[in-house]
Amino acid sequence: MGADTITRTNRVTALAPWLLVLPATMAVFALLAVPVGSTLAESFSNPLGVFENYRRFFASDYNRMVVLRSFWIAFATTAIALAAGFFAAYLIAGSGPRTKRILILLSVFPLLTGVVVRSFGWMVILGRNGILNNALIELGLINAPLSLLFNQGAVLVGMVYLFLPLMILSLVGVLETIDQDLYSAAESLGSSPFGVFRQVTFPLALPGMVVGSILVFTGSLATFVTPRLLGGERQMTLATLLHEKAIISFDWEAANTIATIMIVLTALSLVALGMLAKRLSPKGRA
Amino acid sequence: MQSNAVSLNDIVAHYGNSQVLHGLNMSVADGELVSLLGSSGCGKTTTLRLLAGFIRPSSGSIALSGRDVTGLPPYRRGIGIVFQNYALFPHLTVAQNVGFGLKQRQVAEPERGKRVAAMLERVGLSSFADRYPSALSGGQRQRVALARALVIDPPLLMLDEPLSNLDAKLRVDMRSEIRELQRANKRTAIYVTHDQEEAFSISDRVAIMDAGRIVQLDAPETLFTRPVNAFVARFVGFENLVPMIVVERDGDRVICEAAGGVRTTLSLAATGPVGDRFVIGARPEGLAIGAPSNSTIPGTIGVRTYLGRTYQYRIDTPAGPLVANGPFSQPLQQGEAVGIGFLADQCCILPMENN
Ligand SMILES: Nc1ncnc2c1ncn2[C@@H]1O[C@H](COP(=O)(O)OP(=O)(O)OP(=O)(O)O)[C@@H](O)[C@H]1O
Ligand SMILES: [Mg+2]
Repeated sequence: MGADTITRTNRVTALAPWLLVLPATMAVFALLAVPVGSTLAESFSNPLGVFENYRRFFASDYNRMVVLRSFWIAFATTAIALAAGFFAAYLIAGSGPRTKRILILLSVFPLLTGVVVRSFGWMVILGRNGILNNALIELGLINAPLSLLFNQGAVLVGMVYLFLPLMILSLVGVLETIDQDLYSAAESLGSSPFGVFRQVTFPLALPGMVVGSILVFTGSLATFVTPRLLGGERQMTLATLLHEKAIISFDWEAANTIATIMIVLTALSLVALGMLAKRLSPKGRA
Repeated sequence: MQSNAVSLNDIVAHYGNSQVLHGLNMSVADGELVSLLGSSGCGKTTTLRLLAGFIRPSSGSIALSGRDVTGLPPYRRGIGIVFQNYALFPHLTVAQNVGFGLKQRQVAEPERGKRVAAMLERVGLSSFADRYPSALSGGQRQRVALARALVIDPPLLMLDEPLSNLDAKLRVDMRSEIRELQRANKRTAIYVTHDQEEAFSISDRVAIMDAGRIVQLDAPETLFTRPVNAFVARFVGFENLVPMIVVERDGDRVICEAAGGVRTTLSLAATGPVGDRFVIGARPEGLAIGAPSNSTIPGTIGVRTYLGRTYQYRIDTPAGPLVANGPFSQPLQQGEAVGIGFLADQCCILPMENN
């Protein structure tokens, strides 16, 4: 009898964690997996053939252009944010505790406002009667306002501004954990400041660079507000095209197809970045 | 003026607002091995960091081989350093860590690999060449750090407690490896340690540091027999420091008075005229315990400790408690009345300090 009680208690104890997470798991499943699953399923359920929706989508020059543009904007945003973010994070990680706190606060500050506000801010700056045009005219540098909005440059500026804080935070996190004595050691062994950067800082910061790049790349691939406000009709991306198909032209088939393409592209870029990270990163970390 | 390999002149150094070095002076001759010995936090690592150029002095100047390097960046100073916390590159293998300095010096591959392998052999880590530091024990990491600094054969080598994590046997082995390399290549070295025996056995000269200053820089024998002040004297084992005043002298025989009015006769030429104040320092074995007499300090035997070949006694005297060794063959009992004499050739004379 005694042994029996013990096994039964054990069985219940073993099950308890699963029972506890069950409600949350079911909620996530119902709210996330089901809609995503049905989106995927819908996109393959054209009566003319499983891939008919995709054939139609990619048959259009315009659509192919949008896919390439989305990809390019995400890539360029990531590259610029990586370069600028590294520079900023390096400065932040190397400064004294007080300066560090202020700088981190400053770089995170934009995150406290919404995406719409942050993109709209750039409309105010770049618009025909915006701050920049007015200033240039006041200074007599130009006669008529330049059209600075609704082009790729404007989208990139807005995107980089949107995602730079994420990159900076990822990089500060990893740069801070590097032992300062490693820099001293490299210098004492004859490394110039650039050599120290290339041989010590860079390889040890790689994990943070990968995490930051994944966040920024997938984020910019999915962002809707910034390309919508700063790029307009002429800079259509997958996200804005999806919005147009679903909300404006009620073409649900196309919308489902675009959504699936976005999911697949995101997954593929995650895998690619992961593989790149594995190839670049050293194995010896504790 | 003969140019020293290293000279530090009146160095003052701060971390933020706290002053760590207070006018430090030191010079090391070419090809010499000097140890820095001192208690934790007295500024040994800071001194090395200044020499390497990782921090700048607030005032004072640093010269290497007669050249002022106070403003020169670390990678131009030609210094090899073994860090107290090893500072191994976690993303490089043992062999890559050791080869790092050679790579910076453009030593090309077959040659570099050969030199790395030879050095790993010397520190006994040949079979660990392809491991990463995270997969090594503390002592193995320390030997990698040592190999990494030794392999570049720098004109000035600085070692910050390079053997602290090794067992007794390995420590002695590595110590002689370091000394051998340093002597064979005629390199200058600065060696930081807490271990007095290690410092005395490896060094040409030893610098005793106290609270951001060097109080004495001398050959081990000199330090051991002629400390310059009470701090160094206590450091090298002069446990009994007794202030005295000369009351009578007759050639080399001097009658001195200590606290409590007790008098003793010393045969010390080194003391001054009548009225001169000084401190006499004696190790436990530098005191002779005998029968009470009018030329010795009267005392009573206190706690007795067995030390193997001898007994050590705490003895209460009017001049304060003393520690003395007595022969194993004639144990003394607690409470016995004795007379304490100073064995002049084993004692040291220090100036009176006002504190
Ligand atoms: N980065 C730092 N910032 C502020 N104070 C420091 C810093 N590094 C050292 N100190 C202080 O400076 C003093 C000297 O430190 P240092 O590291 O030179 O001592 P040390 O003699 O090497 O001691 P140990 O034998 O324990 O290694 C200590 O009081 C220490 O607290
Ligand atoms: Mg130290």
